[in-house]
Amino acid sequence: MFQAHYKLERYSVGLVIAIIIAASIGGIVEIAPLFTIDQTVEEAPGMRVYTPLELAGRNIYVREGCYACHSQMIRTLRDEVERYGPYSLAVESQYDHPMLWGSKRTGPDLARIGGKYSDQWHVAHLENPRDVVPASIMPAYSFLARTQLRTDDLSMHLTALKKVGVPYTDSMIEKAVEDAYGQAAPFSALADGVVTRYGDATHIRAFDGDPGSVSEMDALVAYLQIIGRLTDAAHEQKSSGDAE
Amino acid sequence: MISTLTDTERQIALVISGLLSLVGLVLSAAGRHDPLGAQGFIILAFGLSGVFLVISGFHLPEPTEKRFSHYYDEPIKAGIIIAMLWAIVAMFVGDWVAWLLAYPEMTFDAAWASFGRLRPIHTTGIIFGFGGNALIATSFHVMQRTSRTRLADQLSPWFVLGGYNLFCILAVTGYLMGVTQSKEYAEPEWYADIWLTIVWIAYFALYLRTLARRKEPHIYVSNWYYLAFVLVVAMLHIVNNLAMPVSLGSSKSYTVFAGVQDAMVQWWYGHNAVAFFLTSGFLGMLYYYLPKRAGRPIFSYRMSIIGFWGITFFYVWVGSHHLHYTALPQWVQTLGMTFSVMLLVPSWIAAANALLTLNGAWHKVRDDATLRFMMVAALFYGLATFEGSFLAIRPVNSLSHYTDWTVAHVHAGTLGWNSMIIFGAFYYLVPQLWKRERIYSPVLVEVHFWLAIAGIFIYVFAMWNSGVIQGLMWRTYNNSGTLAYSFIDSLNAMHPYYIARATGGLLFLMGAVIGFYNICMTIRSSPAAAKTRNEQPATIGQSRLRPGE
Amino acid sequence: MNGPEHDILVAFAKSWGLFYLIGLSIGVLVYTFWPGNRKNFDRAKKSIMDDESGPWA
Repeated sequence: MFQAHYKLERYSVGLVIAIIIAASIGGIVEIAPLFTIDQTVEEAPGMRVYTPLELAGRNIYVREGCYACHSQMIRTLRDEVERYGPYSLAVESQYDHPMLWGSKRTGPDLARIGGKYSDQWHVAHLENPRDVVPASIMPAYSFLARTQLRTDDLSMHLTALKKVGVPYTDSMIEKAVEDAYGQAAPFSALADGVVTRYGDATHIRAFDGDPGSVSEMDALVAYLQIIGRLTDAAHEQKSSGDAE
Repeated sequence: MISTLTDTERQIALVISGLLSLVGLVLSAAGRHDPLGAQGFIILAFGLSGVFLVISGFHLPEPTEKRFSHYYDEPIKAGIIIAMLWAIVAMFVGDWVAWLLAYPEMTFDAAWASFGRLRPIHTTGIIFGFGGNALIATSFHVMQRTSRTRLADQLSPWFVLGGYNLFCILAVTGYLMGVTQSKEYAEPEWYADIWLTIVWIAYFALYLRTLARRKEPHIYVSNWYYLAFVLVVAMLHIVNNLAMPVSLGSSKSYTVFAGVQDAMVQWWYGHNAVAFFLTSGFLGMLYYYLPKRAGRPIFSYRMSIIGFWGITFFYVWVGSHHLHYTALPQWVQTLGMTFSVMLLVPSWIAAANALLTLNGAWHKVRDDATLRFMMVAALFYGLATFEGSFLAIRPVNSLSHYTDWTVAHVHAGTLGWNSMIIFGAFYYLVPQLWKRERIYSPVLVEVHFWLAIAGIFIYVFAMWNSGVIQGLMWRTYNNSGTLAYSFIDSLNAMHPYYIARATGGLLFLMGAVIGFYNICMTIRSSPAAAKTRNEQPATIGQSRLRPGE
Repeated sequence: MNGPEHDILVAFAKSWGLFYLIGLSIGVLVYTFWPGNRKNFDRAKKSIMDDESGPWA
């Protein structure tokens, strides 16, 4: 009796092991080499990390599920490069946890949206897309301007990202909340710290037009304006050799 | 349901519900400044309902030893009803967001009503709510029948079913509050992912324990497919959801992978969710219910085995075809494309096996809408896998990717293949499990069938057209060598197709509502006379567990 | 940008994967067409046609 039972067990466990072997090899072969990251991804020495305000904006982009309609990945195809700009490089999303390459363009690609339009355009467009683009089918995000940005836990966000490999320094983590305010309040005492920590090229603006407070609109526009601008690697690549 | 549990199982159920309530309480306290707090309350409410349910049935007499001569069908029945509820909710949300694309003003200026938050409710609700519950319910049925044994115990199936639905509820309520990882088809956040892992391990253990008790020496091939589904989905789920929570009081986490690695892991997950959730498990369903309903054994058992190993092996390689022409290294793209094309062989072996089983029984397909659901499912499986291999070829993908063509392809699979085989299986199962002579209204099954067919065709053709038009407009140049159309031009061209798509979806939803009505009326109708089914003794827990029996 | 470590991994993935594919295919085909298994398979496919009578003792 025990003998027979043991045999049956062995059969089903054997099946399980065979399934695991058959199904795992493909994933391992394709994924493992990508973890020799320094060799998969181009060099971009000047690349900076997201500021706390941009990161908060990115988290709003994640929260609202923007990836469902907007890609952030320009493919190496002529028409895409001419429509959107230089094709995307792996290095450009090296600090993106998660990546937001997307899979569908119900709306246009956003990989080169940074700097393409003014802050006012973005605010008006997010308030009601059809005020700016009459045929748009994007939802209105007017509640962003009405909603104060939650900043109290930003240091924890930076810490979590540091743990998964984003090179935030201790002072960036410590000053995360101040920097979020500083970036949206030009000419304030806090603004200088942002430049010190994240570089001269960092946008210090009242993104939503109101320097007095930091809204979710500030954060999202700050993020949109930095997409594709953390490094110039893609633009340099374009001048040295054309796509296709 | 409590009456079918032994005293020990009732005690364990009480402990589990209590622990769950405690976890819910802790999370709601820790996350009081965060959406996590609300999610904690849902867990707490779920746990307390469990406690209440167990206590209310605690005094009932224990089931007798006689239960071992019956299959344990109660969780299957519950799973079928829950799956149908998810189908209706998620199809409704799907149709709603389809209309949003045609009429974007319908969001009431509310954050939760925007496309980005509602869309994952549709996908999660259909894939995990509808598909997942159907898979769990049918796997409980198939594993018992093919093993000629009862489920290993009475509590684990309820834990799996209940726990799994808690996961689904946490997921969709989370999206409304903006809790999401923005990883397609893996949107739920870290706490829900951990919970699903626990539930999944229990599911796997239950499956193996039931198989270990089997009286039939050979494990029927459907179980192989179900097992591959359980195992590989566990693997995919755990790896793709590795994340660093911001804190224990925050619903937000950051994936451990970044950029290009995250993309590869995500689409390794994303495509294999299609492979092992929506294909492998569903083939298990097909290989059991189609022969049963047709009254003929499967055409070739050998083909089913070859198809099984082909699918299990090939599918895992193909995820990278979602990343053609991107920053992913080209050799990975090529590998993904090659295996995608090879995958057509095992896929068509499975589809052909199903259709050849029906060869010689076409009169049954003509007369029996339930069997016709299954036949159409096999047909669409063949079509969708052909289209999938085709779309994975790099030059084709350069046109189709990012467009509605992908949406057409996915819906040919989910509407035509997954939904149709589920409906077929349910129409077969419901009269049998509830001991009714037949379904309440065969006419309504016909109506459901034709609504579904009409819906699929309108939907898929609309999206094929819009996808190809979109793709062509984006890459059309005028004589002066510049792009001919702005993005908005292509968007304007989509409007009629978006209306057609929403209409097709509405027809399909109406069919599902009729199907649910038909199922409910079948359950409410009077049981078939026992003598017509004397080879099937009543296996319903309630009826045989009345005190004094 | 392609260091030696990466190249070795890639070469390994490309060659070894092919052998694995061939080996697995042969294994599956042998199992499927093994004459001794024929009886089992026939039995299995017919056995599901009548399984509603409840668990076997």
